[in-house]
Amino acid sequence: MQRILITGKNILHTPENRLILEAKGYQIILCENLPDAVGLILEDPPDLLITEKGFGGGNHDHELIMAAKACLQKANIPIILVLDQDDLNTEMDWDYYPVDDFMVKPVAPETMLAQIELAESRMVRVFDNNPLSRLPGNTSILRSIQKTIDSDDPYGVCYIDIDNFKPYNDRYGFSRGDEVLLMVARITVNVVEELARDGSFVGHVGGDDFVFIVREEKIKPVCERLVENFERVKNMFLSPEDIKAGAFIGEDRQGKETRFDLLSLSVAVVTTGNHIYKHFGEVSVIASQIKHYAKTLSGSNYVIDRRH
Amino acid sequence: MDETKKEHFRRTLREIKNLPTLPGIVTKLTKMAEDPDTTTEQMGKVISKDHILAAKLLRLVNSAFYGFPQRISSLNSAIILLGFNVIKSLIISASIFEIMEDQDIELWEHSLGCAVVCSVVSKRLGISDPEEISTAGLIHDIGKVAIKMELPEEYEQINTMVLEKKVSRFAAEREILGLDHAEVGRWLAKKWNLPTKLIEPIACHHDPRLAKTEQLSSAVVHFGNIVIRGMGYGHGDDIWVPPMSQRAFRMLEISAVDIDEILDEIEDKLWDVKGFSLEIQTEQQAAAADCE
Repeated sequence: MQRILITGKNILHTPENRLILEAKGYQIILCENLPDAVGLILEDPPDLLITEKGFGGGNHDHELIMAAKACLQKANIPIILVLDQDDLNTEMDWDYYPVDDFMVKPVAPETMLAQIELAESRMVRVFDNNPLSRLPGNTSILRSIQKTIDSDDPYGVCYIDIDNFKPYNDRYGFSRGDEVLLMVARITVNVVEELARDGSFVGHVGGDDFVFIVREEKIKPVCERLVENFERVKNMFLSPEDIKAGAFIGEDRQGKETRFDLLSLSVAVVTTGNHIYKHFGEVSVIASQIKHYAKTLSGSNYVIDRRH
Repeated sequence: MDETKKEHFRRTLREIKNLPTLPGIVTKLTKMAEDPDTTTEQMGKVISKDHILAAKLLRLVNSAFYGFPQRISSLNSAIILLGFNVIKSLIISASIFEIMEDQDIELWEHSLGCAVVCSVVSKRLGISDPEEISTAGLIHDIGKVAIKMELPEEYEQINTMVLEKKVSRFAAEREILGLDHAEVGRWLAKKWNLPTKLIEPIACHHDPRLAKTEQLSSAVVHFGNIVIRGMGYGHGDDIWVPPMSQRAFRMLEISAVDIDEILDEIEDKLWDVKGFSLEIQTEQQAAAADCE
């Protein structure tokens, strides 16, 4: 952790406090107004955000925290909220302030330093996220699936797969392949956030496999929008020649020259509820069967399995 | 032209950070962002009617941070990739013009009008992604805003020269700065990591012959720029309609009959734009009245 953005007034109190942090190798950025702070988070995100409750007046403190949370690439920016003693006397709404920690003013420099270091080490501990997309990885995914099948409510566990990703990688190179993975990650997070925020989850298994979980009634709208958005954006990631030809020529797994369709998205959905599954392993078995079927269909599509 | 002076202009323009937007647009978008029922698409529609916010959005989505440098050339794609929350943050961080001048509105209308022409023409040409070219049309004059913001004194001199000597803005810019807004636009687009598909039409909208790879889209934006000026929509104080490149015109394969149809179609679509412009200006006045 290097760069710390501090928003609000008088959090550091004295220049000495700043020096202590800087001596430890932290780069401090101070910002006192909302537009500039949000601009910084958007264009040049810090590694840690320390912000004051009541910053900028109105609901600006909340807006800023939400802006920091919205950055997918640094979804894990730890946020520390600085409070007055009075704020603790009345109960805090931590859903409104989804922060990682708090400090009470006046903050002694040793306390601040210790809390920053703690935030840092805590981040390493929970880091099961995919290094490319920064989305939660396998441990979190399995935990979420288990939680879903243990729940009384019906959900859809949705497996995304990018068709012809391997030949794309062979033809365009790995870094271009990574761009496509990031594209799918972002589209998925955005669609799920916008259409099915409550109770949802998005994770990245690895490679071109992603998983998301939404409430049953949201399965259709989310899948439809996902497929539609992928189709609208995918041409940006293909060369004009390939778009024109509607296919690309590559080698199959046996090394034979083959014609591949352009990129498409397959989503295989397993519905849960009524406690029909006991263990997450059962869900993935069903998922791989539907995935297989979904892959035989041409173009981008989604298939929903309803066994109950 | 003094070389060190020219270098100074270049450096100043390169440092540019935040271009201001029309207050009316920001007010409208802020209202939309506060409404929980607003969709990303609805906000995207308004943003694609503003050359500054559109440029910002493209700059953001093409920044190394998001992982698609020089890749995203259409606004719709940028909006899908950035998503509601980032767009909301973009609106919060937007700066607005402190003093609004008629010229700012005129330039905005001109940009919007040019995008309309580009969209009509590229659909006619059967281009696979017409939205890409209308995006280029929308932000083709971004260099003008940069000159106004970063070189206010020279900007005034250019204005005076345009009015007094009755020369085109383009010529006045060359005379006073030793460079023109198309060149400034090219630097900005390059610095912002925009794809070549957008850089070239911006850089070459006055002379599409300069385009190396994006000849067709540069020709369309060139045509759009001139046609919308010729139709007298959003001209500012620049009274001259720039000359049309014969080669670009031939490339578009537009006959005399076609041109009538095209103009009709543009006129139709401009009604929407004019309505929107009126709405924004009302919003602006209301916001200004609130401040008083």
